[in-house]
Amino acid sequence: MADVFGISISALQAFQQAINVTSNNIANASTPGYDVESANLTEAIPQSNGAATVGAGVVVTGISRAYSQAAANQLNTSQSSLGQLNALQNYSSQIDNLFGTTIGGLSTSLQNFYSAFSNVANNPTSTASRQALLSQAQAVASSFQSASGELNSLNTDVNSRITADVQQINSIATAISTLNQQIVVGTAQDGNQPPNELMDQRDQLVSNLSQLVGVTTTTDPDGALNVFVGNGQPLVLQGQTTQLTTVANQFNASQLEISTSTANGNVISGSITSGDLGGLLAARSQVINPALGQLGQIATGLSQTVNAQQADGLDLNGNLGANIFSVGTPLAIASSKNTDAVTAGVSVNANGLGALTADSYILSFQGGTPSLTDTTTGVSVTPTGAGTTASPYVANGVSIVLSGAPAASDQFLIQPTATAASSMSVVMTNPSQIAAAGAVKTTAAGTNTGAATISPGTVLNSANPNLLAPVSIAFTSPTTYTINGGAPTAYTSGGNINFDGWQVQISGAPAAGDSFTVTSNAGGTGDNRNALAAANQQNVGVLNNGTTSVTAGVSALITGLGSQAQQINTAQTAQAAVNAQALSSVQSVSGVNMDEEAANLLQWQQAYQAAAQALTVGNSLFTTLIDSVNGTFT
Amino acid sequence: MRVTQSLEQTQFLTAIGSLESGINQTQNQMSSGLSFTTASQNPTAAGSVNNYQQALAQSQQYGTNATSAQTNLNTEDNALSQVQSQLQALRDLALEANSGILTNSNLSAIATQAVQIQNSLLSLANTTNGNGEYIFGGFDAQTQPFTLSATGATYNGDQGQRQVQIAAGQTVADGDNGDTVFNQIKTGNGTFTVAPAAGNTGSGVVGATTVSNPAAYDGGTYAISFAAGGAYTVKEGATVVATGTYTDGGTIAFNGVQVTLSGQPATGDSFTLAPSTNQSLFTTVQNLVNALQTGISSPGSSAALSNSINSSINNIDQALNQTSDVRATIGGRLNSITTQQSVATSQQTQLQQSITNLQGLDYASAITTLDQQNTTLSAALQAFTMTQGLTLFKFL
Repeated sequence: MADVFGISISALQAFQQAINVTSNNIANASTPGYDVESANLTEAIPQSNGAATVGAGVVVTGISRAYSQAAANQLNTSQSSLGQLNALQNYSSQIDNLFGTTIGGLSTSLQNFYSAFSNVANNPTSTASRQALLSQAQAVASSFQSASGELNSLNTDVNSRITADVQQINSIATAISTLNQQIVVGTAQDGNQPPNELMDQRDQLVSNLSQLVGVTTTTDPDGALNVFVGNGQPLVLQGQTTQLTTVANQFNASQLEISTSTANGNVISGSITSGDLGGLLAARSQVINPALGQLGQIATGLSQTVNAQQADGLDLNGNLGANIFSVGTPLAIASSKNTDAVTAGVSVNANGLGALTADSYILSFQGGTPSLTDTTTGVSVTPTGAGTTASPYVANGVSIVLSGAPAASDQFLIQPTATAASSMSVVMTNPSQIAAAGAVKTTAAGTNTGAATISPGTVLNSANPNLLAPVSIAFTSPTTYTINGGAPTAYTSGGNINFDGWQVQISGAPAAGDSFTVTSNAGGTGDNRNALAAANQQNVGVLNNGTTSVTAGVSALITGLGSQAQQINTAQTAQAAVNAQALSSVQSVSGVNMDEEAANLLQWQQAYQAAAQALTVGNSLFTTLIDSVNGTFT
Repeated sequence: MRVTQSLEQTQFLTAIGSLESGINQTQNQMSSGLSFTTASQNPTAAGSVNNYQQALAQSQQYGTNATSAQTNLNTEDNALSQVQSQLQALRDLALEANSGILTNSNLSAIATQAVQIQNSLLSLANTTNGNGEYIFGGFDAQTQPFTLSATGATYNGDQGQRQVQIAAGQTVADGDNGDTVFNQIKTGNGTFTVAPAAGNTGSGVVGATTVSNPAAYDGGTYAISFAAGGAYTVKEGATVVATGTYTDGGTIAFNGVQVTLSGQPATGDSFTLAPSTNQSLFTTVQNLVNALQTGISSPGSSAALSNSINSSINNIDQALNQTSDVRATIGGRLNSITTQQSVATSQQTQLQQSITNLQGLDYASAITTLDQQNTTLSAALQAFTMTQGLTLFKFL
């Protein structure tokens, strides 16, 4: 009899617990990180009773959670990739939206600028059209400024998100290490029965962490979890954490890098390639900075070509044209790790526009040989020259001058174009300074009897000090001429005559005694040759070895940024699908299905009712027995 | 495989989110009329559209340039047509003066008219365009190009000629400098001139002069001197080139040139045949005025007047030719501008078409897409509400 009671009671207790587990499952159906639990029912071991031993009922030996390490790892890895792509997409699509299809009006303002030059060519004496040109130049500079300003503010945003991520990573790491300690103690106390709730919490923290930064984990036999980031840098070792910190980039203090606080400020940014943090670093190095460099390259190209054309002409006052644009100076920054105080200066070569790239370079001196390494392509070149003012290092369209002899370990970051666009401005304020006229004009003497004509003259070298000095070309015979009475030169019809930095052609048949003069075009306010040449630069390839015009460069930038955003969108969509798959496989193991819980609830309810019934039967048996005994003894 | 309610909900929300963003994009397309609004939606087309838009704007700028050149050329053509009528009037005056029956006071009255014509010509040569630029000043557009002088007019401009870009690689001059138009006019018949010596006393007047054989004319200067009885000697320097006897109205021919004279040169009279030089139109007019004002005082001076007037008429004809030539080139330029304008118009239509093809929205297909997206979304919503009702707990 006692057995019936004992067995029934054990069953009632066990089913009660099972019902509790089920209702706990239902309660936590939407709790993040909750793994579905089940009560482990085991037969109770009976006292041996000879041959016919009946079981002693049922006991709950433990509550186990459904958890697959493999599925969880897969989800964590996928979340890290998705986190990286989400961050990357955030920035690429912002750029895509900000710039739209016209890069913030840059394209339009460039077009208007060249059109304004054409209008000056149509009316070189008109102050209104000159003023309009300066206004359009201002609009171009503003477009470059605002486009690069947007990019720079994205970089600031990246910095603040890196700081926030690092703080969050550190606090999660601390929470994991605390949980590690509790889990190790709890597991030992409960006879190797791990505390499910703490395990769930820790797994959820690792999952959260993997969204921020890619991690790998190992589990110790005592239940402690070790977490590693990057190339195996430990973040959590049992109860210990290594805090991450942000440090300034060795070249650029405005860009934050990730470092482990131990190992004397070891920068590990390079090995962090996934998670939100990896995405932020990638957005900076692959999306934002290259776009800044390209904008700068276009701005430099525009500024140099316009200013050089200006220098070839005369303004309304008869002076050689002044600069219209100025762009940000190229940067050469010494590494904070350099052991000496050598500084570097860099400038874009006057004829270096074709070789100029949008990339940044590291100048290093390993083995005593200077080497310029492109940070985007990784290609190294050895510059010519000695790095001195007399003989600067020259490569990729830039000249670099060092203040002294560098140490072999010295490094310099060379950024020819990074700040060109953000500091672009219009330096000309007076519209009369626009050099619409050619610098020299030519005149055939009225007494000429021959049929030779002279071309209007073009400027080859505006730096020639005698450029504007009057020069006379006199024909001593139909086949010979002298310049300023100098040595006779044989005449070829249509041949180039170069002198004092200009070039003219005389064609046709001159007669002896004919003369031509080349003089300053001062007063030639109706001349538009230089403005015409400036307007035509719109179609002239100057960038990328002369293959790309300034306006085509803008189109290429639009296509490039658009393709990049498209590629990142595609990758993000694909990764989101992978992630959904990983999530569903985790859920299929660990998730709470309500139908299943309802069925379980019914099952345990019925089992409980049956056990209770068994108790009633036992009771009735006992009553029967008592009643019969009562009958006998009364 | 266990499918949990929370996963179902998550996945449903993701799916609804992507459907709604699809609908949003289609709506954006329809409200903007563009098939893409950011470069990432079609990077290659975005770059091409940008290029086409640049090309379009450039083509339109060429149109503006062409209009500007057209205006300037029309102004110039108009000025030159007035120059022609003034020159024609001057020529008529010269012919009238040369009729041989006029008195000095008649001649003086004609001279007054000639001076008026000279003033008109001067003001025409100093014509300005809408921007206040002197159209005949060359590059020096802000200095009055011509000012009167004792011998005609001084040219203050230069020989520059402004070009205007009317198409890629095609420029057209939007004017001509005054030096070319008014100063560089050949004298005489364009090849040579025949002028009487200042002291001629006979009545010999130079008539028609021609180059009968251009290959034989060497561009030399010849002196034709007359002796008694019409005998003449032609010398180049000291070298005798030809000799002969002249009769009234006869022609003297040598070295490929022919000179017709009328009247009777006196013994010792001479004429100089020299290569043409450039002479300003204003000098031509001034010379005529001077000759008319000098008038007639003797038979010799009558011949001198006739010679002067004849020479002026020759020079006026040369100026008329020059003006016609310049007007012909203006016509040519205006033609090429018109041609280029029509090419540009079709080019612009083509570019617009290309941009529309790339970026314009096909509304029919966009509406179909929107319809499909709506159907999918409403089906998804319905499916979700139906499956969400299905839980075992409802049946307990």
